[in-house]
Amino acid sequence: MFFQIYAIVIKELKLLLKDREALTLLFAMPAFFILVMSFALETVFEAGSKQHPLEVLVINEDRGPLAREAIDDLKRIETLSLIEKQDGAVLTRAKVERLIQNEKYSLALHFRDYFSEQMQQFSSASSFPAASVSLISDPVINKQVLASVTGAIQGVLDRRRFMIRLPRVLQDHFSAEIDSHVPKSLAAFQKNAFDPDRLMSRLNQDLKAGNRFVLHVASPRSMKKTRRPTSTEQNVPGYTIFGVFFIVLTLASGFMQEKKDGTFQRILTAPVSKSSILVGKLLPFYFVNLVQIAIMFFIGVIVFGMELGYIPALILISMALAAVANGMGLFVAAVCRTEAQVNGLSVLLAITLSALGGMMVPAYLMPGFMKTLSLFTPHAWALRGYQDVIIRGLGIRAVLPETGILLLFAVLFFGMALWRFRFDS
Amino acid sequence: MLMADTIIAVENLKKRYDTSDVVRGLTFKVARGECYGLLGPNGAGKTTTIGMLTGLIEPSEGTVHIDGLDLAHHRREAQYQIGFVPQDFAFYPALRGKDNLIFFGRLYGLRGKHLEDRLEAVLNTVMLTRQADQAVAIYSNGMKRRLNIAIGLLHSPKILILDEPTVGIDAQSRSAILEGLESLNREGVTILYTTHYMEEAQRLCQRVAIMDHGSIIALDSPAELIRGIGEQIIRLECDQPLHEETLVAIERVGPVKVVDDNGNILHVKTSDPSKAVGAVIEIMDKAGTRLRSIDILEANLESVFLHLTGRSLRD
Repeated sequence: MFFQIYAIVIKELKLLLKDREALTLLFAMPAFFILVMSFALETVFEAGSKQHPLEVLVINEDRGPLAREAIDDLKRIETLSLIEKQDGAVLTRAKVERLIQNEKYSLALHFRDYFSEQMQQFSSASSFPAASVSLISDPVINKQVLASVTGAIQGVLDRRRFMIRLPRVLQDHFSAEIDSHVPKSLAAFQKNAFDPDRLMSRLNQDLKAGNRFVLHVASPRSMKKTRRPTSTEQNVPGYTIFGVFFIVLTLASGFMQEKKDGTFQRILTAPVSKSSILVGKLLPFYFVNLVQIAIMFFIGVIVFGMELGYIPALILISMALAAVANGMGLFVAAVCRTEAQVNGLSVLLAITLSALGGMMVPAYLMPGFMKTLSLFTPHAWALRGYQDVIIRGLGIRAVLPETGILLLFAVLFFGMALWRFRFDS
Repeated sequence: MLMADTIIAVENLKKRYDTSDVVRGLTFKVARGECYGLLGPNGAGKTTTIGMLTGLIEPSEGTVHIDGLDLAHHRREAQYQIGFVPQDFAFYPALRGKDNLIFFGRLYGLRGKHLEDRLEAVLNTVMLTRQADQAVAIYSNGMKRRLNIAIGLLHSPKILILDEPTVGIDAQSRSAILEGLESLNREGVTILYTTHYMEEAQRLCQRVAIMDHGSIIALDSPAELIRGIGEQIIRLECDQPLHEETLVAIERVGPVKVVDDNGNILHVKTSDPSKAVGAVIEIMDKAGTRLRSIDILEANLESVFLHLTGRSLRD
């Protein structure tokens, strides 16, 4: 019996070693997952931590000193990284909006020229304008991340305002206590004037009565939507793209099966051009992809009440996305020689590119080099396109660059596939 | 210039994979309406040759003309003249027999009434009319073989190329297939038939090319090939390997070839079998070797191959 087991083991090892590419994928796949997922997810657990502070651009137009002081205070918060200059130049609102729209950064703090003036002026008149700072954010930033940033900024600016108001409140407080107690009883003055509760109560009353400080959260002016995305709006496009690339496995396996069964060879003996064979094989998968996308978005709308935005723009991105997925499928079919290789490579591409492209972890939470790497995946561009329409409320013109890049990916995959595809094997 | 009655013309056809020459400069012609056999053991290069004739495999060198059309330059037109029946069951088991036929029919441009008529005709020819609406997955091996052939016949090709079409089926189905092919050939369809079953080639083919190691080693009608041997073969099986001296003694009777690994089985070529058998038995007696069996092989294509290569077709 042991000898038979030995014989089977040796045979299996020989077969495994014969298909070195599949064996390599077997080892490469978990290694890739570990690397990509760890880097990508690292920021989910540590976003806004000392090691991974959130980057916030700063536009300082304040004519007075208070914005500078507030910025210096904010710089002491380890969970934020403030950027005041880009390429040696101070930031302007227009430049910041461009950077956010291009998804280079997600957050910016805008101190207007009257910031110091407003911070120093107190009035109980309701018509008096509130002291304000604008926090410009990409709409794709989710509520939790935004809440932590606004909380930190609000805290620092409230403290700064408190420090400005404190001498005046103390002066008023002690004057009032002197007026009401000193002529009668020095002891009563000491008791009341230095009572912390009375002091705090007066301070709160003062701050409440005066014009308030407001942190405005806004989207870049070019974007129509200002509300935060729901989890559906984040997940539906992400997981749709993730699902679309599983066609790679189905498509490549289909080719492999046809070659194995001999039907592909039989078709080749018919008077049909090679391009007709490939187009005929690919078109159904292309339509399956489009139906898949439609169903996913339909579920988002019907079940979760998701707003789709401008549908023609979504169709444009979807068509380009399906073309990339099909190109990748043909590429896998062209380079793999065994079913094990097809399975390994398809799963490797589907999962690692999805993780890298921001399907599982939003790209804005990724560390810088991962963010850059994500641009080499079609997934990231497709997601960017969908988010432009669904979350940022943009139209066809805005998604043309993403569509163009997706089509370039498609051309690249189809080109490599046709170069490597063996019709006679 | 091609002869007017030539429908397949192959000139110096070669196929090389890396350093291995699978087909080595084949040249032959098949006449219109002929049934032409390519006979050879597995690995002789028959399937690769057929692959090149059907446009599936790009030749490394040489030309193929199908009904006057150069396959390299008029692939699609030439392919339309050919019905190909591969060795494998090359169809879709999940689909119905009829759906498979419709699919392949459409590839050849058949549609509408013409397609329906052809469907009915080929289903009738291969006796699958009743099973046409069943999924192919539940077909028996014989039915699958017949469907495989039906697909090749669908577009009424001038040439039918069959690659080992009877592998793995029972004698009854094989006989039915051979009868069908004989009938088609009588109707004028040119048949190029590859097999390693010599009795099939002998029954069907007007001419047979015997292939070995990628080359044609003999080409003639089966009768002429057999006549050409001029000798018969005695097959001897002994209880032990024969000594060198015994073999030398037998060689005086006729050329000897040991055909098994243990040296227990040998073939002796002779022009006078009755005299040779007595002589061989006497030599073996003297050597103390016992004979387990002795056969005088009837001359056929198998013995032709044996005569030419020293190996059996099924080796």
